[in-house]
Amino acid sequence: MRHDFYLAWQYLRHYRWRSLTLLVCVSLIGILPLLLNEVLTQGERLMLQRAKTTPWLIGARGSTADTTLAALYFRDTAPPVAYGEINRVEQSGWATALPIHARYRIHQIPLLGITADYFDFRHLVPALGDLPGFIGDCVLGARAARRLGLGVGDKLVSTPDNFFDLAGLVPLKLHITGVLAATDTVDDEAVYVDLKTVWIMEGLGHGHDSATTRAAPTGSAFTTPETDPASAGAADAVEITPDNLDAFHFHGDMERYPVTAIIVAPHDDRAATLLGGRYVDENLPVRLIQPVEVIRHLMHNIFRISTLFNLVLAGASGAALLALMLVFALSLQLRQGELDTIELLGCDHLTVVRLVMAEILLILLLAAGLGSIFLAYIRHESGILAPVLLDAL
Amino acid sequence: MNPEFSLRYCSMHFESTPAPPITPMLRTVFTLLLVLSNLTTVAADNLQPRLTVVASHYPLAYFAGRIAADHADVHLPMPGGIDPANWRPGSSGIRMLQRADLLLLNGAGYETWLAQTSLSRARQVDTSSGFSDRLIRIEQAITHSHGGSGQHTHTGTAHTTWLDFSQARQQAHAVAAALGRKRPELKSRFEEHLQALDSDLARLDQNLEALSLQYQTLPLMASHPVYQYLARRYRLDLVSVHWEPDEMPPGSEWDALARTLKQHPARLMIWESQPRPEITRRLTQLGVASVVFDPCANRPDQGDFLSVMQRNLQNLKQARESISAVLQK
Repeated sequence: MRHDFYLAWQYLRHYRWRSLTLLVCVSLIGILPLLLNEVLTQGERLMLQRAKTTPWLIGARGSTADTTLAALYFRDTAPPVAYGEINRVEQSGWATALPIHARYRIHQIPLLGITADYFDFRHLVPALGDLPGFIGDCVLGARAARRLGLGVGDKLVSTPDNFFDLAGLVPLKLHITGVLAATDTVDDEAVYVDLKTVWIMEGLGHGHDSATTRAAPTGSAFTTPETDPASAGAADAVEITPDNLDAFHFHGDMERYPVTAIIVAPHDDRAATLLGGRYVDENLPVRLIQPVEVIRHLMHNIFRISTLFNLVLAGASGAALLALMLVFALSLQLRQGELDTIELLGCDHLTVVRLVMAEILLILLLAAGLGSIFLAYIRHESGILAPVLLDAL
Repeated sequence: MNPEFSLRYCSMHFESTPAPPITPMLRTVFTLLLVLSNLTTVAADNLQPRLTVVASHYPLAYFAGRIAADHADVHLPMPGGIDPANWRPGSSGIRMLQRADLLLLNGAGYETWLAQTSLSRARQVDTSSGFSDRLIRIEQAITHSHGGSGQHTHTGTAHTTWLDFSQARQQAHAVAAALGRKRPELKSRFEEHLQALDSDLARLDQNLEALSLQYQTLPLMASHPVYQYLARRYRLDLVSVHWEPDEMPPGSEWDALARTLKQHPARLMIWESQPRPEITRRLTQLGVASVVFDPCANRPDQGDFLSVMQRNLQNLKQARESISAVLQK
C-alpha cells in the first residue's frame, strides 16, 4: 500500500501543473458552498453584533437600511438630519446621543465626523498617540493606518473622493494625532475627525487667516488626480495650526448643520419607552430606527438569495464534478499505454487500479487540506467579512 | 446614622409595648453592629474611584469642591493670574479636559474654545442652561486690547453669570445634579453639601440685595463690561467702560469718561482688582471714587470664593459710607 502511494505521489509530482490544476478545481468545488455559508454566518454574527451594540438611530425619513448601513458600517449615503436633534434627546435626560457624519471618503477610506463620546461608546482607544484634541486633528483606525501607510505626526490631505459633489469640499491638511488599537470591526477601517472638522470641510465653518484663505473647493472635473495620499491636493489644502486655530468659526445656526444619523443609547428600559413615544408621529422629519431589526431584515433577504445561490452552486458543482470525472476518464485513456507497460512489467490489474485510486485519493486529500487552510484563514480574518458582505450588497 | 440615636429610637419604640429589657451586653453588641454597618458603608464609598472634575472657571471649581468634598479631584486647567474667559487650551490643557469625568462649563458663550476643540459632549455640563432664557445679549461690542493679552471682544452674551447670586445658586444646583448623575450612590451626600453651599450663596444674595437699596439712587461706572448680571439682579444703574486696572487709559478714554459723567453723574467706579494709584488719583479729581468688586473668575491668592465675595460686599458698603460722608459735607 505504501508503495502505491509512493508511486502515485511521484506521478503527481512529475505532472505537477496538471496535478495542481486538478487540486485547485477539486478544492474549489468542495469549499465554495462551505465558504458561502461561512461568509454568511460570520457576516450575520458580526453585523448583528454591531447592530446589537447600537440601540437606536435617529435618521431622516427614507430608507432605514441606508441610514443603518451608513451610520454603523460607513457604507452607502443617507439623507442628513439636523444636528439639533441631539438636543431633543439630551434635554429629555433619557439617553446619550452621539452624532455621526459618514458622508465622505478620503482616499477610498470612510471619513467619520464624530464627537469624542463615540470613542467611549465603541471602546476605541489609541494604540499610538492621542485622540483628536482640536479641529483639524484626526485619528486613524488600525487598518486605515496600514492602508494609508501613515502614522502619528504625519499629515493627511482630505481630498474628497466624490467628484459629483457640486458644492465641492474644502481640502484640509489633517494632523494625525493617533492610531487606534485594532478591534476587528469596521471601526478599524475609518479616519476619525471631530464633527466640526467635517463642517469646516463642507464650508460651514472657516477661518479668516491668510493661510486659510488659500482654500479652493475641489471636485472640479478639470482637477488632475494625484496619487500620493499624504500630498494629494496639498497645494490648495488649508491647515489648521495653533496660530490660526482661533480664527476658525461657524456661521448660521449650528443646530441646522447636517449629520448622517444620531446614535441614541437610552439609560434604561423606561427611558427607552418614553423616548420611543416621542418619535411615533409620522409627520416628524426624522424617525427612530432599530438597527437590529433593519439588519435582521437585510440578512433574511441575503439568506433567501443565498439559498437560491446554493442551488445554482450545487448544479454548477455537479457539472464540474462530471467534467472532472471525464478528465480522469480521458486521462486514463491517454495513459493506457503507460498502464499496459506497468502490467507488462509484472503488476497485476488490481495493482494498476490501486495505483490510480491512490492518485485520486491523494488529490482529494490535498484538496481537502488546501480548502481547510483557506477556510481557517477566512475564520481567522472574520473581521473582514462584514465589509466584504456589505460591499457585495 | 448615629448609633446612639438609633439605640434611643429603638428603646423608645420598645417602651410602647412590653418588651424584654435590653441588657448591657445586648446594647453593646447592637452598637457594635451599627458601627460596623456604618464603617462598611464608608468603606464602600471610599472604594469608588474619585471623580475627576474640570471647571472652566474658579466659581464652578469652588462649587464642585464644596459639593463633592472628598469624592472628587477638582481641577482648574488654566494657570493663576489670567482671566479664564480669555484662556485657550494647549495640548496639555486639552488632555486634561479630555480625561475629565465631568467638564463643568459656565455656558453663555464663556468657553469660546469649545468651537475649536474635540471634547465629549456627554461629560459637559452647561451650568447656566437652566436660565438660558434670561441671559443678557450684548448688542454693541467693542474690540479692544489691554496689556499683552491681545485683542478681545465682549460680543454675544454677557457671561459673568455668577455675580447674580441667585443664578450662582442655580449653577451650584446644576453642578450637584451632574455629580449625582455620575455617582448616584452619593447623591444624598452631595445634596447635603449643596444645602450648606446654597445657604451661603443665599445669604450673600440677601446681603447684597439689602446693600443695593443704598445704591438705588446712585449712578455707577464699571471699569469693564463684566457686571451686567450684578447690575440687573441688584438694580444698579451701571455704565461700563473698557479699562484695565494695571493700564493707564489714554487721554481719549478720559475725555469719553468726562462726557459720560455729564450724562451719568457717577460717584463710584467698580473695578475687577485694585487699579493703579495714578488712575485712582485722576478719578478722584473727577469726583469718582474706586471700589474693587472682584468677579473671582480665577483662583484667588488668598481665601476662597465666599470670602472674596464677602470682601466685595464689605468694599461696597464702605464705599457707600464714604460717598454719603462726602455728600453730607
